[in-house]
Amino acid sequence: MSLVEIRGLSKVFQKGGETVKPLEDVDLDIERGEFVSLMGPSGTGKSTLLNLVAGIDRPSAGSIRVGETEVTKLSRAKLADWRAGHLGYIFQTHNLIPVLTAYENIELPLFLLPLSRTERQKRVNIALDAVGLVDRAYHYPRQLSGGQEQRVGIARAIVANPQVIVADEPTGSLDADTGSQIRSLLCQLNEELGMTLLLVTHDREVASLAGRQLRLDHGKIVEASRVRVANSTVGG
Amino acid sequence: MFRFAPYIWKGMIRHRARTAMTIAGAAVGVFVFCCVGAVQQGLNRLTQGVAANQSLIVFQENRFCPTTSRLPQDYATTIAKLDGVVGVVPMQVYTNNCRASLDIIVFNGAPPTDIRKFDTLRLIEGGWESFESRSDAAIVGIHVARRRGLSVGQSFTIGEVTVQIVGIFESTVANEENLIYTHLDFLQRAAGSANVGVCTLFEVLVREGVDPDRLATTIDSTLHSGPIATTTRRKGAFQASTLADLVDLIEFAHWLGYASVGLVLSLLATTTLMATQDRIKEHAVLQVLGVRPTRVARFVIAESLMICLVGGTIGMLIALTALAWGGFAIGAEGATIAFEPSWSLAVSGLAVSLLVGLLAGLVPALKVATADLVPSLNQ
Repeated sequence: MSLVEIRGLSKVFQKGGETVKPLEDVDLDIERGEFVSLMGPSGTGKSTLLNLVAGIDRPSAGSIRVGETEVTKLSRAKLADWRAGHLGYIFQTHNLIPVLTAYENIELPLFLLPLSRTERQKRVNIALDAVGLVDRAYHYPRQLSGGQEQRVGIARAIVANPQVIVADEPTGSLDADTGSQIRSLLCQLNEELGMTLLLVTHDREVASLAGRQLRLDHGKIVEASRVRVANSTVGG
Repeated sequence: MFRFAPYIWKGMIRHRARTAMTIAGAAVGVFVFCCVGAVQQGLNRLTQGVAANQSLIVFQENRFCPTTSRLPQDYATTIAKLDGVVGVVPMQVYTNNCRASLDIIVFNGAPPTDIRKFDTLRLIEGGWESFESRSDAAIVGIHVARRRGLSVGQSFTIGEVTVQIVGIFESTVANEENLIYTHLDFLQRAAGSANVGVCTLFEVLVREGVDPDRLATTIDSTLHSGPIATTTRRKGAFQASTLADLVDLIEFAHWLGYASVGLVLSLLATTTLMATQDRIKEHAVLQVLGVRPTRVARFVIAESLMICLVGGTIGMLIALTALAWGGFAIGAEGATIAFEPSWSLAVSGLAVSLLVGLLAGLVPALKVATADLVPSLNQ
């Protein structure tokens, strides 16, 4: 059984008196440990799909199941509970809480889980180590570079050990060198930690890291190529 | 919720100047509320206390200012013979000001042995012996002493009255602490030789179980045949009538107290709303991380509550300290209303702060909890 199972997913909304259909009857399966990238021109609904999977937007039709959870049937409060334990979200613009240190930003999602202080400390330190920011733990976001901020954002997304991580243009606001570091980090998350990633990007180079590259075209998903699932090549 | 306390605290102090100004606003509002409350409580104590209902005041008919009421002192003997009367204290009242004033000085002259029997008074400095033995001796209420910086051994002059201070007293009746007690005959002589044998009023102690109003009627009808007609009322009613003009002002000030609370509410609601509008995206991010919308709403309310509680506590403490040390009183025509700190004032100040903090946070919290996440994240 796939980890993420999307069936007949559609999204329709009104914009400036016009009916917009960014997603139309989309079907998609993502396996556990798979790294999937989603490309397409601006406004084609990539982020909409990501938000629907994350349960922060509601579909007009269709269903999304992640693990055992039928995401589209959950209330807003239940969705928040579900995200706390099962989903990591990497934003394009980091979205760190400015008044909290890197450590506190990463610890924040763990407050929602039944963990002791020691366990929280352990997990935050592991996440900081994974993104190479142990020496920046007590820096505030304003004291970090863009790349470091994004790494804190990634650490925050993985700290609760979620079933799936969604990333919305994670290198979109970074320069080339920093973007390259983040790309390596994402590969590392998938290959070494076996995390399931669904990533939206404009960047072909970032998309090419994924085992499966998808394109959104007129509200439909088109499979561009399939390379590998974490730790094993499955096709080309 | 307590795990998020550092986040709530840091959120509260992120705009320090704005938070400090809001706290200051809340402090001023609650300060005004407590001060107005103290005036109201002072009036209630004066007009509704046990003493207000269990003793009567005999005053000259159709007179209001103490300087105009001139009753023959021998009325005391007539009144004392009436059934239901436990005791009669003739009293000469001398004041520096018949009009409404915040610094009114009121001398009450009475026989020293009668003054010593007042069970409401307790000398905290000086002694009764020196008060009884010296004709120009005076014991001073603690509030007057604080306000005027008076101490035992000093001499004190108002108008043509000069007294030697031999004691400072506290009283269980707050407004008494704004009085100065002297010998009756001394005060009568000080006010001019024509005043010997004349007093301003009689305080009549009523036996338990006797209807004070019926006794008041009996006193007035008994003295009606005398040279000066009288009006006898319960002490509370007499003081309320004496202070009638001030009562109206106090009732008006009461509304000012509520208005100040309204201002705090408006100020805090505006600040909380501004703070949440600044953080629409941040609150959405918290929800993406898994914080329930209702919990984010509670963060907003907690912040608003903390700001108002801190400001309110500061305002309440300043007000109570000022009331305790300032010894403020407002008076007119010889009667005074003492502004006293009290536990009920402290509790109502804190309760108002909590209520205002809660109300001010409700609307912004509701907006946060119901805002769509996607547009909020795109801000």
